[in-house]
Amino acid sequence: MVTLQKQLSVDYTKCTGCRLCELACSAKHEGVFQPSLARLRIVKYDDLGLDIPNVCGPCEEAPCVDICPVYAMRRDPVTKMVYLEEDKCILCKACVGVCTAGVIRLDTVAMRIIKCDHCGGDPECVKICPTGAITYGTPAQTAVVERHGKLKAYVAEIHRNAMKE
Amino acid sequence: MGLGGYTGKILRIDLSRDTVRVDALPREWIHQFIGGDGFAAKILYEEVPGGTDPLSPANKLILATGPITGTLWPMSGRTVFVSKGAQTGIWAESHVGGFIGPELRYAGYDVLVVEGKSEKPVYVFIEDDHVELVDASHLWGLTTSEATMKIQEEQRDPDIQVAAIGLAGERLVKFAALIVNHARAAGRTGMGAVLGSKNVKAIAIRGHGGISVANHEEFVALAKRAQERVRVNPQAKEMGKWGTWILTAVKQEIGELPTYNHRTGVFSGWEQLSGDHIRPRYTVSDRACFGCSLGCKKVNYIPDGPYAGTLEEGPEYEGLMAFGSVLGIDDYPTTLKANQICNKYGMDIISAGTTIGFAIEAFEQGVLTEEDTGGLKLQWNDRDLAIRLLEMIGRREGFGDILAEGSREAARRIGRGAEKYAMHVKGLEISGQDGRTHRSIALSHATGARGADHLRSLVTVDQLGYEKVAAQRWGSDKLPEIINPYTEKYKATAVVETENTYCIRDTLIVCWYSVSWPPIFWMNDFAEVLPIATGVEEFGSVERLTEIAERQVTLKRLFNAREGISRKDDQLPERFLKEPMPEGPGKGQVVHLDPMLDDYYRLRGWDLKTGLPTKDTIRRLSLQWAT
Repeated sequence: MVTLQKQLSVDYTKCTGCRLCELACSAKHEGVFQPSLARLRIVKYDDLGLDIPNVCGPCEEAPCVDICPVYAMRRDPVTKMVYLEEDKCILCKACVGVCTAGVIRLDTVAMRIIKCDHCGGDPECVKICPTGAITYGTPAQTAVVERHGKLKAYVAEIHRNAMKE
Repeated sequence: MGLGGYTGKILRIDLSRDTVRVDALPREWIHQFIGGDGFAAKILYEEVPGGTDPLSPANKLILATGPITGTLWPMSGRTVFVSKGAQTGIWAESHVGGFIGPELRYAGYDVLVVEGKSEKPVYVFIEDDHVELVDASHLWGLTTSEATMKIQEEQRDPDIQVAAIGLAGERLVKFAALIVNHARAAGRTGMGAVLGSKNVKAIAIRGHGGISVANHEEFVALAKRAQERVRVNPQAKEMGKWGTWILTAVKQEIGELPTYNHRTGVFSGWEQLSGDHIRPRYTVSDRACFGCSLGCKKVNYIPDGPYAGTLEEGPEYEGLMAFGSVLGIDDYPTTLKANQICNKYGMDIISAGTTIGFAIEAFEQGVLTEEDTGGLKLQWNDRDLAIRLLEMIGRREGFGDILAEGSREAARRIGRGAEKYAMHVKGLEISGQDGRTHRSIALSHATGARGADHLRSLVTVDQLGYEKVAAQRWGSDKLPEIINPYTEKYKATAVVETENTYCIRDTLIVCWYSVSWPPIFWMNDFAEVLPIATGVEEFGSVERLTEIAERQVTLKRLFNAREGISRKDDQLPERFLKEPMPEGPGKGQVVHLDPMLDDYYRLRGWDLKTGLPTKDTIRRLSLQWAT
């Protein structure tokens, strides 16, 4: 039997940049409202009117796993979920630097690595998202979205107008 | 502190001495004022004496937040800037959305006070405990957005939140604004000029800490239910889709769409300024402020015509009004262009548009001539002229220099009876409503602490005809008059109760859209969430919250009284009192202000003759220290 991999999927075109996901994430995992301890982040481009949710996965190759010198960052072979074995972590912070989404973070007070665990299969960010910009499911169930649509349309228009001048 | 919700710290930056101080937030302030507007009123009254020149180093700029700012509660990302008004010389406040208020809290402060004056251009940089005045000579002259991005770049962090001034603030345009997140404005009353007068280009904040509430589990559960209430609310859904553009059609229908400098309340070109027209043609994305499920901000792009290539957020309904109907312009792209200029220069779009409307009407009536305007022929529905004048104002260039003073001061300098065409109360231009066809707003405009204001006590229940809600809030004995927009009767009751609720809203601080129409949040909801957030049980009583609100309103009044404000200033331009609405559904209506003022003062416990708080009221609200 094949277990399909569930993943967080984002649709930039739906994200309004409200950052409720960051709040809900830190509220659940840390018991405070603190975006710097959230396991995901919204990257905002105010000048372009763009908001891009950065979440953990799906990574075809997981750089955080590859770089970890002590095998504390592991990937479940069945679910493909990457998880951290905190006992093994030596706080070298290599994973923080290498994560392409910038969502592996260092808690500078408690000195520990913070990483998304998909809330054990029921992600808080998905539940709080007001527009469905973050969804959770297997690829077949997750709506296929033109992720870069909004950005491409902007660039094309800006380019077209620049040409005119 | 031991209290939930508060960081318990006030950060004070003295620009003259280049010193920084952190004060503990006095616990009694919390009980007396809750937060936000209340804290700021306390500080401003005590520290900025009567007669202070708003553009002098003695004035202060306060950024205040509330106990739920930056939490999961819906629309809790808002912040207030408070100062003595550059434009008005009285109490001034300007609320803004975006993300800067929560960031101040994550940095560890509830309130920021900026005082004195820097010798050279600087920007204030706050990163948690690190506070620094950074040289900003290389940022002087940049647009608000350029300055913001430059600061983020040189401090190597794109998540820094910045409130910046543009050219208008640097050149002390009296209605200069502070702009956050590229396009969100602390627009009204001239906060940008206050910052400019202090030689400060921007306030930049980054915080890595968090906010803890008194009862986390309960608060999160309640906040999630509250978010859900917003999401299923039909009006909120509409607002999410159309933003405030939805108002254009509503205002036109009831004859309250300010047109030709508030001469009339209907506009033949209104459809070009309505959401139905704009969204399908121009809107490219929907955005939200911090913690908001609604998302009323619209980013728009003009594909063709003279303003092709304009990509900008907004404008709000107020901008559609100020650069649309008020100037007789039936063209959305012009309003977007105007909004972009206002954002770049850092200017209040309401005051800018309405001041231009003043000039056009004065010109039409022969009070202004080409000699005054430097050869410009001012006329209605002239798109290029509106944009040109706006840029001249932002740069204080030519005729724009006098308009940059705002309509009251411009009229005073021009003389020749120009005052008749200046649509302001206490120096602040009238927003996009008309008291003749919406009688309660006449009272709101006349009594608003910062001048002609639509955000401190605008009643929508009468305007939109919510009979049941009116009965529940104000008593069924006051129906039907209280929801009849054409009578003065009972309007003070509606305005006072609404103003009280909005005062608490402005202490939390939450967005206007979370209270603007029923059945979203009201006083009882705030009484439910506040004790859970703060642990202060007494906040659970609507009566106690009402008392705190009354204290806030009366303290602002005392601030204004010290500047010479009294009943004589709670007025409206003659137009609303003497010129009957010429057309539309409210044809023939005028405002009878005095009976409403009497009722308002009576309900507030203020003297009928002077409009000032009585000794009894001052004692009842424990404000003896302020007399």
